[in-house]
Amino acid sequence: MALLPLPQMSSKEAIGCDIGQARQAVEQLRMEAGIDRIKVSKAAADLLQFCMEQAKSDPFLVGIPAATNPFKEKKPCAIL
Amino acid sequence: SLQDGKVIVWDSFTTNKEHAVTMPCTWVMACAYAPSGCAIACGGLDNKCSVYPLTFDKNESMAAKKKSVAMHTNYLSACSFTNSDMQILTASGDGTCALWDVESGQLLQSFHGHGADVLCLDLAPSETGNTFVSGGCDKKSMVWDMRSGQCVQAFETHESDVNSVRYYPSGDAFASGSDDATCRLYDLRADREVAIYSKESIIFGASSVDFSLSGRLLFAGYNDYTINVWDVLKGARVSILFGHENRVSTLRVSPDGTAFCSGSWDHTLRV
Repeated sequence: MALLPLPQMSSKEAIGCDIGQARQAVEQLRMEAGIDRIKVSKAAADLLQFCMEQAKSDPFLVGIPAATNPFKEKKPCAIL
Repeated sequence: SLQDGKVIVWDSFTTNKEHAVTMPCTWVMACAYAPSGCAIACGGLDNKCSVYPLTFDKNESMAAKKKSVAMHTNYLSACSFTNSDMQILTASGDGTCALWDVESGQLLQSFHGHGADVLCLDLAPSETGNTFVSGGCDKKSMVWDMRSGQCVQAFETHESDVNSVRYYPSGDAFASGSDDATCRLYDLRADREVAIYSKESIIFGASSVDFSLSGRLLFAGYNDYTINVWDVLKGARVSILFGHENRVSTLRVSPDGTAFCSGSWDHTLRV
């Protein structure tokens, strides 16, 4: 017996009309819903801490000494 | 990698071309350096990813030693070596990502889940990490387990194609740039978007993003020819860089973090 085509579902997930695909999508969503999450306040604090610790060694924040900068514009040398 | 079918390896200090390879197809969309620096991988509309060992020997033709590693059913949008020269991760317009063994060309793992073309990917920074993130035309960014092929987390807050994804240096978060003119930061442990980098005056899509070494700055190249520098923690724009005369299509911070390079449709690379 032929299966009737399912009506188009309007949802954010691209769920296919095929029931097998829909089952798979539900399984995936269940799995994603079940993962352990931490609170944003803790996650943000950790990101902040990492950033602050690494800031000292970030050349874009700290700058590099002009002597070691190969891209520094070379000034012409005037011979007196 | 260029759209006239060539891949060029540059010396950024002398601005000399070190190597040039002509590809059989006209549109090269992705290229990557091997961790050892001894080989490059590239691909595009030819649906393949090919690896070329680099040689300074003028008598040797690089094209002759080419090895076709990956085979997709649509264009190759991104490729990246994993921690070694032996494995390559690819993303394709066919909606899948795949992990390949360079030596044998064998498919080791494939990643299905995107509902449309996959445009970008980035590997998690830690040596022990076995995950990567990919972004696609289905507006989603997905985090994958490389060993099982499973999607472990998915994020769908962008309003248009995700053009670029890049892990935060700690590996606990990643940023994405999209055609919806915003960049967003997603925290993996909180499993949600935690910041949006946007301004009403920015209406063109972000094509490429990368972090500074500490993760404090996010550099993003846009289709309005500019590069915006965002303060990741404050969510505010720090600086805007002008100079390119056409869309900025790609952007990458150097491994030592002292500079970043942007590539554009104006045929130039700027450091």
